[in-house]
Amino acid sequence: MATTTATITLSSADMMDNAISISNTATLTTADTATGLTETTGLARRKFASSSKVDLVTIDNTDIPTNKSTKIFIRNTNARDASKYVIILLNSQEIGRLYGGDWMFMPLLGGSGEDVEIDPSDTTETIIEYMVFHE
Amino acid sequence: MATTTATITLSSADILSDALSVSATSTLYKDASTSTGLDQVRMGRNEIATGTTFDLLDATAAGEDKSNWVYIVNKETDPTYYVLITMYDKGIGRLYSGDWMYIPWGQGYGGGTAAKDDIEIEAFNGTCTVEWACFHEGETLTTQAD
Repeated sequence: MATTTATITLSSADMMDNAISISNTATLTTADTATGLTETTGLARRKFASSSKVDLVTIDNTDIPTNKSTKIFIRNTNARDASKYVIILLNSQEIGRLYGGDWMFMPLLGGSGEDVEIDPSDTTETIIEYMVFHE
Repeated sequence: MATTTATITLSSADILSDALSVSATSTLYKDASTSTGLDQVRMGRNEIATGTTFDLLDATAAGEDKSNWVYIVNKETDPTYYVLITMYDKGIGRLYSGDWMYIPWGQGYGGGTAAKDDIEIEAFNGTCTVEWACFHEGETLTTQAD
């Protein structure tokens, strides 16, 4: 069994009168157990230079079965530009936009066809890093 | 202008042959901006009963395609208790005990109330306590009506 942790810290000293500081660490486990996830794609890096929607991660029931414990990390490594972003979708359902420098981390339900897709705002070369943890 | 940052650290000493350590930090800006930080936030803690899918966060027309960042954590400790996160009935994934997620939220409004990309939640195997935060822009309070 492997032990993998994901820690998040959200902080702001000046959004409100008092500081915001949210921090949590999750240990990534298999579904319904305390056993650590043991599989990962490793950190992958891909370049996109088209404004067409494409699959970032193709999901099928063999590699990433449905209703198990799966997590994905995605980061847009470009420098922030006010007009350039990528839309992250899950089987055509829009999740949201990642501008340069933004990252996200979320569970995946998995299942055949539930691909993680990316739709760049234009043809500017965009470098995306991602990593999937699964069972 | 407020400055809010989000940092993630992914680490493991034994999932690969070599140690894994990935870290990233982002600053939460308003949409289409490189310098103006988000300045609105909502936070909460809810007990989610089993058997019903609830709206945790309602999409609004004012929030559509704006900068909205959502954080949700399942505070339960029983590994069999999980919440299923959905968006407009599309299953996103399960948050098991101690799991958290952090995503941009496009708040697709679909031109009407029937097709909103609300963030929905349902608990399984037992009531789950969740904590959440939404850093956002675009919200205007509704006029008092009663």
